[in-house]
Amino acid sequence: MVSNEPIVVYENFSYSYPTTPNALVDINLEIHRGEIFGVIGPNGAGKSTFCKSLNGLVPHFYGGTMKGRVLVDGMDTFEHTTAELSTKVGLVFQEPETQLSGLALTVEDEVGFGLSMLGFPAKLIRQRAREALEKVGLKGFERRSPFELSGGEQQRLAIATVLAMKPEIMVLDEPVALLDPIGKYEVLSVIKEIAAEGSTIVIAEHEIEELAYFADRILVLNEGRMVSLDNAKMVLSEVEKLKKIGVDPPSVTELAYLLEHDLGIKLEYPITLPEALKIFGELMEGR
Amino acid sequence: MSSLATSILRRSIAEVDTPMHRLDPRVKFLFFIWISVWAYIFLDYTLTAIFLITVLILTFIGKIFKKTVKAVSIIVVPWMAVGIPILSALFPWNKTLIYNVQLFGYNIPLYYEGLAWGIVWPLRIGVCLASAMFFLFTTEPVKLIALLFNFRMPFRFIYAVAGALQFTPILLDDLQTIIQAQRSRGLRTDVSLLKRLANYPVLIVPLTLSTLNKVQIRAIALESRGFSAPVTKTWPYDLSLKRRDYIFLAGIIATTIIFIYIYLVYGFSPINHLQFYIAAG
Repeated sequence: MVSNEPIVVYENFSYSYPTTPNALVDINLEIHRGEIFGVIGPNGAGKSTFCKSLNGLVPHFYGGTMKGRVLVDGMDTFEHTTAELSTKVGLVFQEPETQLSGLALTVEDEVGFGLSMLGFPAKLIRQRAREALEKVGLKGFERRSPFELSGGEQQRLAIATVLAMKPEIMVLDEPVALLDPIGKYEVLSVIKEIAAEGSTIVIAEHEIEELAYFADRILVLNEGRMVSLDNAKMVLSEVEKLKKIGVDPPSVTELAYLLEHDLGIKLEYPITLPEALKIFGELMEGR
Repeated sequence: MSSLATSILRRSIAEVDTPMHRLDPRVKFLFFIWISVWAYIFLDYTLTAIFLITVLILTFIGKIFKKTVKAVSIIVVPWMAVGIPILSALFPWNKTLIYNVQLFGYNIPLYYEGLAWGIVWPLRIGVCLASAMFFLFTTEPVKLIALLFNFRMPFRFIYAVAGALQFTPILLDDLQTIIQAQRSRGLRTDVSLLKRLANYPVLIVPLTLSTLNKVQIRAIALESRGFSAPVTKTWPYDLSLKRRDYIFLAGIIATTIIFIYIYLVYGFSPINHLQFYIAAG
């Protein structure tokens, strides 16, 4: 359930890497508690930078210059370290293997790694680790080595490591980009489940078709600037705008656009398959 | 890269459960230091050979015998092959003539002291190397890290060690991929040594870049999980000494007492009775 309470606030935020200027320019937006917030855009649009600005990696880790500010649950990311923000924002990256700490012998210990770094008591770490593993469907894998897992399982493990920290916001930076179809399915199922529980999720994704199913709002970035920000249906229906910047809308949406554009058949743009089935079904029945 | 070098770099732990693997890493580390020190205190090739055999027996029990013997042989055999003939003839403390060799019309005297020196030193290195391999290859990385924690090492140092252990196999995998990619694009590897050296940049540059990228991602991922939080970390792996560890330690203590007695009564070369100064050792 999306509340009106903003948990993230971007105020005139701009950021340049030491070697790449204007990675993000004039970002002004709010993300609400319980919202599933999608971020899309072509390569180099600033999606990853946006994700990293949420837990202070930008600018603390990379340096560079910034203007404006980002507030996460009232904490200014410039004034707090990434370690301090780690219980507020959990970040999951593309590549599963490089996220493993390498200091844990078992899956369970890997999940507890973040809590160990923050000095939580061992009993609580174990309890949280088990809960997180159950949530991502890795129950029974506790004693396995993290390096023995498949790509999809490792990515679910990476999500579990973040879930165990019980962050206010979970940020996923193209979490299925490097996975095979089975891995993608496994990870997206977990994300959908977590989303259904009311967590606040920010997800940068190339898989727009999938994002359409669960994102409440979508931000479109191009060359570091905000191109669109609205509910998923509105944003994904802007077919021409998306294609112009090199982003493919969902196939069913594009089909509706072509029907209207080329054949003059005006109809509501679907963004998911069930919606398309309903809309195109009605069209074929001549309603 | 040779399979032995790869195996050592990968530092693959034998996927077995042996009494040696079950020993506490602190006990094994102590054993490595202890036997290396004694190998240097005594200057006696028979005794040093006994030390080496003892360590090799332990590596046999730990199922890493072949790997250890191979690595030790690479160091010890060439050293002996070159060192013994030279030292037997030219060692400054040479005194006891064993034999005269006629070579190209020259009479070359061979002395006991030089021969002994030429045997003892490679054996000492062999003891150190074998005991270090025994410690490393029978200790899981996590227990190794737990050991560093027990020694109250700074956390960043511990991570540097863990990172190095962990990144070596990843680097080797990357290197293989890069070699295959470059061969597919026409890189010749069946060429002279000079040409192969000239080819190195096309392998090293992409390897370095990909490694730096991976290191950065890992650093970001760790930092995002509170790595540098200024608090006392909780470590899930506690080391505790078991009965078998105490038995092994008791063996070390008992042998230490015997060695001290031997050293005080019979000196630094109790079996071979080498006469030259201890300073020479």
